[in-house]
Amino acid sequence: MKKLLLVFIVLLQVLHLSALAQNRTISGRVTSAADGVSLPGVSVVVKGTTVGASTDVDGRYQISVTGNPTLVFTFIGFTSREVQVGASNTLDVRLSEDAEALEEVVVTGYTTQNRREVTGSVATVKAEEVALVPLASFDQALQGKSPGILVQANSGQPGAAANVLIRGRGSILGSNDPLFILDGVEISSSDFATLNPADFESFNILKDASATSIYGSRGANGVIVITSKRGAAGKTRFEYNVQYGFSTAPESGLELMNSNQKLDYELYRGNPYDWTDEDLARLRQINTDWGDVFFQTGKTANHTLSASGGSEKTTYYISGSIFDQTGIVRNTGLKRYTGRINVENISGPLTFGLNTTFGYSELMNTEESDTGIGQPLNAINWTNPYETPYDENGEYTVITSGQPNALQELLENSNLRQQLKGVGTVYLSYAVPFVKGLTLSTRWGGDFRSDESTVYTDPTTYNGSFATGGSGSLTRGYARNFRYTGTTSATYATQFGTDHTLTVGLYNEIVDNLGRSFEFTGYGLGGPFENEAGITPGNATNGFIPAVFGTGSENALLSYFTTINYGFKDRYFLNVGLRRDGSSRFGANRKYANFGSVGLSWIVSDEPFMQGLTGIFNDLKFKISYGTAGNQAGISDFQSRELYGRSIYAGVFGLNQQQIANPELQWERKTTFNTGIEMSTLGGRLRSTVEYYNSITSELFLNRQLSRTTGYPSITSNIGELQNRGVELSVEGDVVSSVNFNWSVNVSLTYNNNKILKLVEKEGENDIVSGIIINREGESMNSLFLVPFVGVNPENGNAQYRTLEGEITEVYSAADRVIVGSAEVPFFGGFGSSLNFKGLELSAFFSFQRGNEVYNNDLTNVTNPAYLADNLSVELTREWKKPGDITDVPRAGNRFQSGTTRFVEDGNFLRLRNVNLSYTLPKTLTSALRLNTVRAFVQGQNLVTWTDFRGWDPEITGASLVGAQYPALRTVTFGLNIGL
Amino acid sequence: MKINKFIVGLGLSVALVFPACNDVLEVEPEFQRGGNFSSLDDYQLSLTGTYARFRQTAYFGSGSQTTGTWSILPDLMGEDLVQTEEDLANWQNQINLEYTTDDPDVASGWLAAYSVITQANITLRGIDQFAAANQERVNEIKGQALAIRAMVHFDLLRYWGESYDRNATGLGVPYVTEVDIETMPARLTVKETYDNIFRDMEEAENLLEGVELDNDARAYIDQLAVQALLARMHLYAKEYPAAESYASLVIDQVPLADQDEFAEIWTDASRAEVIWAVSYNAGEGSPSSGIYNGPGNRNRARPSEDLVATYNQANDIRFDTYFDFRALGEDTRRILRKFLGRGATEDNVVDWKVIRVAELYLIRAEARAMQPGKQLLALADLNTLRRARINNYVDVVLAGQPLLDAIALERRKELIGEGHRFFDLKRTTRTLVRTDVDLPSTNVEVLPNAREWVWPVPQGEIDANPNIRGQQSPGY
Repeated sequence: MKKLLLVFIVLLQVLHLSALAQNRTISGRVTSAADGVSLPGVSVVVKGTTVGASTDVDGRYQISVTGNPTLVFTFIGFTSREVQVGASNTLDVRLSEDAEALEEVVVTGYTTQNRREVTGSVATVKAEEVALVPLASFDQALQGKSPGILVQANSGQPGAAANVLIRGRGSILGSNDPLFILDGVEISSSDFATLNPADFESFNILKDASATSIYGSRGANGVIVITSKRGAAGKTRFEYNVQYGFSTAPESGLELMNSNQKLDYELYRGNPYDWTDEDLARLRQINTDWGDVFFQTGKTANHTLSASGGSEKTTYYISGSIFDQTGIVRNTGLKRYTGRINVENISGPLTFGLNTTFGYSELMNTEESDTGIGQPLNAINWTNPYETPYDENGEYTVITSGQPNALQELLENSNLRQQLKGVGTVYLSYAVPFVKGLTLSTRWGGDFRSDESTVYTDPTTYNGSFATGGSGSLTRGYARNFRYTGTTSATYATQFGTDHTLTVGLYNEIVDNLGRSFEFTGYGLGGPFENEAGITPGNATNGFIPAVFGTGSENALLSYFTTINYGFKDRYFLNVGLRRDGSSRFGANRKYANFGSVGLSWIVSDEPFMQGLTGIFNDLKFKISYGTAGNQAGISDFQSRELYGRSIYAGVFGLNQQQIANPELQWERKTTFNTGIEMSTLGGRLRSTVEYYNSITSELFLNRQLSRTTGYPSITSNIGELQNRGVELSVEGDVVSSVNFNWSVNVSLTYNNNKILKLVEKEGENDIVSGIIINREGESMNSLFLVPFVGVNPENGNAQYRTLEGEITEVYSAADRVIVGSAEVPFFGGFGSSLNFKGLELSAFFSFQRGNEVYNNDLTNVTNPAYLADNLSVELTREWKKPGDITDVPRAGNRFQSGTTRFVEDGNFLRLRNVNLSYTLPKTLTSALRLNTVRAFVQGQNLVTWTDFRGWDPEITGASLVGAQYPALRTVTFGLNIGL
Repeated sequence: MKINKFIVGLGLSVALVFPACNDVLEVEPEFQRGGNFSSLDDYQLSLTGTYARFRQTAYFGSGSQTTGTWSILPDLMGEDLVQTEEDLANWQNQINLEYTTDDPDVASGWLAAYSVITQANITLRGIDQFAAANQERVNEIKGQALAIRAMVHFDLLRYWGESYDRNATGLGVPYVTEVDIETMPARLTVKETYDNIFRDMEEAENLLEGVELDNDARAYIDQLAVQALLARMHLYAKEYPAAESYASLVIDQVPLADQDEFAEIWTDASRAEVIWAVSYNAGEGSPSSGIYNGPGNRNRARPSEDLVATYNQANDIRFDTYFDFRALGEDTRRILRKFLGRGATEDNVVDWKVIRVAELYLIRAEARAMQPGKQLLALADLNTLRRARINNYVDVVLAGQPLLDAIALERRKELIGEGHRFFDLKRTTRTLVRTDVDLPSTNVEVLPNAREWVWPVPQGEIDANPNIRGQQSPGY
């Protein structure tokens, strides 16, 4: 009732006061200060509000204002200007080209700030650096582009999402994924492949508590704010981008035996298949490269057509795209179709907009990251080289070792995912006419995804024989997920005195995520159909009883928060954020928690005492911030509750306990200190940023160990503290900057130190060991914990290990395990250079990572002499054979131990991520063709990788290369951009 | 214009105020439920869930990396099943009896067993509140839950017990009767463990008196199954008179299968001889995929030729029922085909026969042979069983050690693959000798003093539970 009353009062005020509003229209023209040319597409915003317009093709604008506000004129590549509206209704403005980095506009989410005001850590990646990269999932293209953000591709499978980490791993059990925001709406990182990166205008990466404070409940792992393109007033502009290319597999660093080596080794090991001389003579003639059998040349085709334009009141951006990429593994690939419509209408104090995109993709994929013998990506390594994929009759060969013929598995079975995705935002903001500076706005958006999956296993295949009834299967599944985000705010911006600016915002935000899925599997696929028509209905005799399954879950977040931005003399800025967040995941009394941040920035270069140094420091800014953010992601939706689930026995329904209650479960809390300097010198030609951060995650989600006699190994609780400290450096320089020739370089470097400060409260239980991984106080998380392998005893060929006491032993004992480095990457970055001569541009970009260790489980599977049935690493040819042999490979009969340092490798690599050569036709020529721009390019992706890693690719998330790795694609594409 | 502002003002005001409801966070699970049991129906559901837990990988279920600890593993750890190259070197540590405290399969077995116990204890928690309203149904549910709890603790004792003697003071296992996640129990002695087991079993026997379960498939533990399990437990405890009398209770009610029925037992077409079997259906895993894997045609463990040679191949119906050949390329391999599947599809999906009446004959024969003056009765049991299995069988006359040896060999021939051999070795001679082996890595001899006869308490339990920390099994 109270709420209704409140609504009523607000309503009355609106009606009553609106009559008092004094609206007028300001119009004018924006030109370039250098040459007086009119500038179309300049954004004109009433300061402190979201009321805005943009200039038309003649540089003219029109905007409705109340009173005498300040207008902010921003345009990419030009210095922003703020001009106070005077008595006149006409206001012409000249913008000069940007030499000062601090004037850049930074989109941090609900608000747009001038870079000088930003007190937190925000890095920007220009969209054009990402748009052209021939990868379906744009996150992979962010690698090395900005300090503090580690992107690991993990897989070259078309459409595969990368793993993105901002400033190290801050949670052990919880999620470490950053929050991705597209036009104000959270989007799921798992299905970026169905979005078109060419629609994006900018990526802003928010890294510290001050920058992420408005996303507090979801921002603990950093935020990547993506803004999609908007139209600009004026003539409609068309743009068409096309590229075609091809991909090939890289070389593997893992060397395997050839037929002669393998057969000799088998003979040495007692000829398990009883090969006769005749067999051997025949088999030695065969030498199948299983890579050649599974790999193909992948093809990429990518088209985007967009149109943008509008009037002073309404602007739009419309695009459509087709992306078609076949993988380097046969029968894999992604086809994507996307469309986007962004429309914004400004009428008086009211701004209304809609950003919407829809996409459809078809993904054919093959299993990765497992050790299954039916996986083609394992078969490349495991199948003996003396086998052939087809026999003399053209049938699939029956492999002697009893392994399935993986080519048959790959070609006869299929795994298809058809995804429909829509992301839409509708927003409305109202500059309250009778209270100058007050803006009310609300924004509601949804991220919808539906996946239809089809898994067909052919009855003739190995996998098909494992299906119920032993005769293939068809699984059809449907999963949908819908997340809506609603943000409603009131912001008030004012100036007082001559030196003070103040903006206060009050916000309410709701996020709700609901997922549902179901699937059925039918059996008995004997007939001609590879769809539902091929399923044999089950009965008691044939055993083809279909399986059905369905599940779903939901979670919600509710937040209230405020932001206060205060500026003094336009060179001292204070940002404060305070918030209260609630999550449905926690116990009844632990749902809500408070977080906050405070940040300061100081434009040192604007101080009077710096006036004499303006020739040296064009910009110098110092910033410092401190704050907290919460994390609730990575645990299950009902993690705090006792849960019972379905459990069928003998065809009768039952229930069993699936989770034990922890009503005390609460928010993980990340506290971050950040400080840095942003500097621009040499007339803006050298721009650099240095930052230091120290973040501590407390109340870590961790599995508290229980006595296993409870039936559970552990319970998810809040224990422990984790620290990530680091330094980030970014330098951009224009080495040569002239009319016809430009040469620029850029470097971004990050050093991050990860350390566990506290684990378990109880004494003597400070380690959490999980397989080869240990988390131990004082060490980096995900440290490898293995017994040191110290070679082979030349006398008897036994493997030798080092005990904790430093003695050499032949007895493997888990008690001798020590920490041998961490899977967390401490040092990474990227660097690049670009040369531009008239219209010709050559750029190259490298990325690297150093200092992490990887456990190569894939290597153990070809090094274990017990796996004699399949192909093995060439290193076994130097196995110890007789006393006196000096080697590093133990004798075959020695007990194989995988948990040793023998399989640890450096994760270091340097990669030529992208090379691009382009030519832009001169203006004179394009004008004659009645075109705006024409640019042709050729680019290479992942052309060279320098590494010692024994596998396809060292770019791995996590501590272990499990197996079945899909190597990163080496892709070359040719493209054309045409604008008219 | 005023109308527009009216709408906008309304919209914004509602938007600002309306979301401010805390019930946004009131989200409930729809595919799982909470734990408040309000009726006997809930307890019945929980009991069904307890049975289902027996199927889990590491109890009777066999995963790709973890064996069925109490289904096929005890035979893989003996000499009658031989690991082959086709197994691709899985389960090496257990098969070769070379485990250490951090062995993941040892940890899985321990956890799986206690998870069944936990669900049984949940089924027992608070059930007595319904005793006044429906005593019969309470007895039915409680009797089964108690029997499950006792039987699982006994299974734990079979691996982790330092001894099987009834009054042994060596280390047994923790006996858990409460639902409490903070519990940190210590290991009881063997005697104390048995005290608890027999208390629960005897109460279950009483509660299930006269209870008629819908048990055509023998999927549930009724009084008969309790008595059969009690016979087995007393044999382990070397309480021979009790083992004998419980065995007799069962034998008197359940006949041995005739020759036609015998083959059908293994395809679940007949329930002859079956006292209790854990039900497996498609999609619920398999207890036996680790021996001969039907779908993959992988003969992971073959029957030892030493044992095969002991059958009267022409006349023993077990020979053709238990063994067969399967081709791989040009090779033909002998397989154990006891658990291939129900129909023509060799999918390894069959019910796991936990206890059959044939075992009761062998229990009684052994229990009688160990008692003075009952040698002839023991011999009669052995001859009865053989007569049911072997055509044209002529009774033999044996006594003393030769009789005991004959009973022990008959156990191997009758029960191969059914989860007994390691325990029988541990129970009697404690020497494992493998003469028929395929792999160079196979451990061919394990002496009686080897620490591996008693499994180590998993490292995770030692780390988490201070009360058990000083009670690691000897030698680890």
